[in-house]
Amino acid sequence: MDPQNPYAPVDLGTEEPLPSLEPEGPREHLPPGRWIRKRLFNNRYNSLLTIVLVTVLGFATYRVGRFLFVTARWDPVVTNLENFMIGRFPRAERWRVIAQVILWAATIGLGWGAAVAGARFRATQSGVEYLEDRSLAKLRRYWALVALVVVLLVTAGTLGPAVVAICSVAAGAGLQKLGARVPGRWIGAVWALVGALGVLGFQIVSGFDGLAWLWTAVFVAAGVNSMLSQRGFPDTRRERQTRLAAAAAVFIAAYCIYALLLPALIETEGVGWDNWEGFRVNLLAAAVATVLAFPLGLLLALARRSGFPALRIMATAYIELIRGVPLITLLLMAQYFIGFFLNTSTPLSLVSRALAAMTLFTAAYIAEIVRGGLQAVPNGQVEAGNAIGLSPWKTTRLIVLPQALRAVIPAMVGQFISLFKDTSLLYIIGVAEILKIRELVHAQPAFRGYGIAETLIFVMFAFWAVSFTMSRESQRLERRLGVGER
Amino acid sequence: MTNTNRENDDQAFADATAMRRSGEAMIELEGVDKFFGDFQALKNINMRVAKQEVIVVIGPSGSGKSTMIRCINRLEEHDRGRVVVDGIELSDDIRNIQEVRRETGMVFQQFNLFPHLTVLDNVTLGPRQVRNLPKKEADDLAMELLTRVQIPEQARKYPGQLSGGQQQRVAIARSLAMNPKVMLFDEPTSALDPEMIKEVLDVMKELAKSGMTMLVVTHEMGFAREVADRVVFMADGEIVEVGTPEHFFTNPTEDRTKLFLSQIL
Repeated sequence: MDPQNPYAPVDLGTEEPLPSLEPEGPREHLPPGRWIRKRLFNNRYNSLLTIVLVTVLGFATYRVGRFLFVTARWDPVVTNLENFMIGRFPRAERWRVIAQVILWAATIGLGWGAAVAGARFRATQSGVEYLEDRSLAKLRRYWALVALVVVLLVTAGTLGPAVVAICSVAAGAGLQKLGARVPGRWIGAVWALVGALGVLGFQIVSGFDGLAWLWTAVFVAAGVNSMLSQRGFPDTRRERQTRLAAAAAVFIAAYCIYALLLPALIETEGVGWDNWEGFRVNLLAAAVATVLAFPLGLLLALARRSGFPALRIMATAYIELIRGVPLITLLLMAQYFIGFFLNTSTPLSLVSRALAAMTLFTAAYIAEIVRGGLQAVPNGQVEAGNAIGLSPWKTTRLIVLPQALRAVIPAMVGQFISLFKDTSLLYIIGVAEILKIRELVHAQPAFRGYGIAETLIFVMFAFWAVSFTMSRESQRLERRLGVGER
Repeated sequence: MTNTNRENDDQAFADATAMRRSGEAMIELEGVDKFFGDFQALKNINMRVAKQEVIVVIGPSGSGKSTMIRCINRLEEHDRGRVVVDGIELSDDIRNIQEVRRETGMVFQQFNLFPHLTVLDNVTLGPRQVRNLPKKEADDLAMELLTRVQIPEQARKYPGQLSGGQQQRVAIARSLAMNPKVMLFDEPTSALDPEMIKEVLDVMKELAKSGMTMLVVTHEMGFAREVADRVVFMADGEIVEVGTPEHFFTNPTEDRTKLFLSQIL
């Protein structure tokens, strides 16, 4: 740690390296023969260890490999790929799913590019030359690979959609390159476009009701808002007022055009939540619960630390209550009992009730993670904020929170990965997510009791591919925030 | 504000004395007590700081020096007595506290710069968020102040990229950006390497010359001797002795002061 400033984030780059457990000296590049002798058979004990481990590993690899590539019967998976991904989604409406893939590929590509452009903008602003680290480039290729696999899985069945989807991923990658070249003051607008595309991608499946256009208009307005604000720093009240007024005007205009004009021009019907099945549900449930749980958790964490006893007690009670019960009990509550508490005339769908339960559950954990981050911000930061006359709320918003959230990215991503895997619990309350689909697959006469392990392995792989991608992404994010901004 | 010529200490002292007599007090502490649990950190502190006066507070660790100046901008709450800054008495009213904090700059031992903001943003944060200054004006003001503390070229860097001395100078610029009437310094050089102490002290001397009212807790006796109008010696939560630097370093009256000086000089 820097002796000058113990509050400065630790720069992992210049830290003294830990004593290496490897042999002293620079890493040698030995010819294979000598490498084997030196690293694997350098004494009697290691030779024995090598022989035993190679035997065990070889045997295991052989058995697993033989199973995966020779004896395994993959036909339940291959025949039902489409079912695994979208379940009993009406096949006539499948173009919506494909359109969604295309739009979201563009969203991800553009969003990624905007993130890179933002990092470069901040770096140049602080007078540091922006170096795109090579690991980033490597990861980008890797990301494309995972995306390709997922897309292939989603659209498998017919060649046409698969080709379209692959092209869209390629286009997304292209957009990423484009997005990375966006000049600083346009980055906000690009983010708004990303948001609008994302919503559009969502609504193209669920239908263009009033809410869809509302959200799209919100993103357009946010774009205008961000264009008008000077990037990278919160502005004063006066500037904010003009900016917000302009954004509000744009919002109203955009919403009027959307709500009045577009329904006359295009088909607005969609396929509702209740017909969403397969791995799509796992992905969407995790994404929606993540987006909703984060702000809720943030508020809970702040409430738990607030000076108002009523708020503090309520937040603490909520967090401790939720953290003390298993998620599955909350899901069962959502399945059976929510209807009793909420006397709604139109009952909520099972998926949305389950989503509410998952959001409330995750929010409690996020709250504790954020609280940890808040505690890690030294009190001197709050004192410095107070000393220049900032109000307590501004001190929290401008000084404490940015530092706290950056410190807890890894823990938070861990929580979101865990949330994603927990979507498999929806199986128990009867949502047709991927595990349930697997059950349905084995209810087919052709596959009854046939290839049970294989389908399970496939489901595991689907979860792993996404979780692993998320975890790698978080590492990348961490590295960039840690090094670039300090 | 007039520029007092500090090279002539006697004249400066006479000025300050005159101002004190004229009753223009910037800070008044009357019978201030402060407890941390059962421990009494401040015992009946009485002090008046005149406008443009530079006061250096010295004393052994744990003597309550820091606690005292932290009571002046309410980073610590006093338990008894009155604290008045530029005519505003500190009470539980948050508006009073905010007003006093706006007029009081504070420099900390650990700098407490905001690590997630650039140097420029560190300095402009207060003017923009508290004084509602437009960005352009705030940036100009910040560059002016960074030039004054002699690091305008570091404006776009992050605090973590600067040396300790540079960081402390940024912290001084950040406080000055609020155009304060009083500057409080809480051991500003104690966390610095010896070669960086001078650059910070030079900035503080320049500030004193410009007529800023300053209250400085420090162990830098050279600074006290050269710049202070009065030196306050504290021990065990009490003010033991107050006097001009000349009186204080050559002819202290109290035994406790003599003991302290014999240990450090």
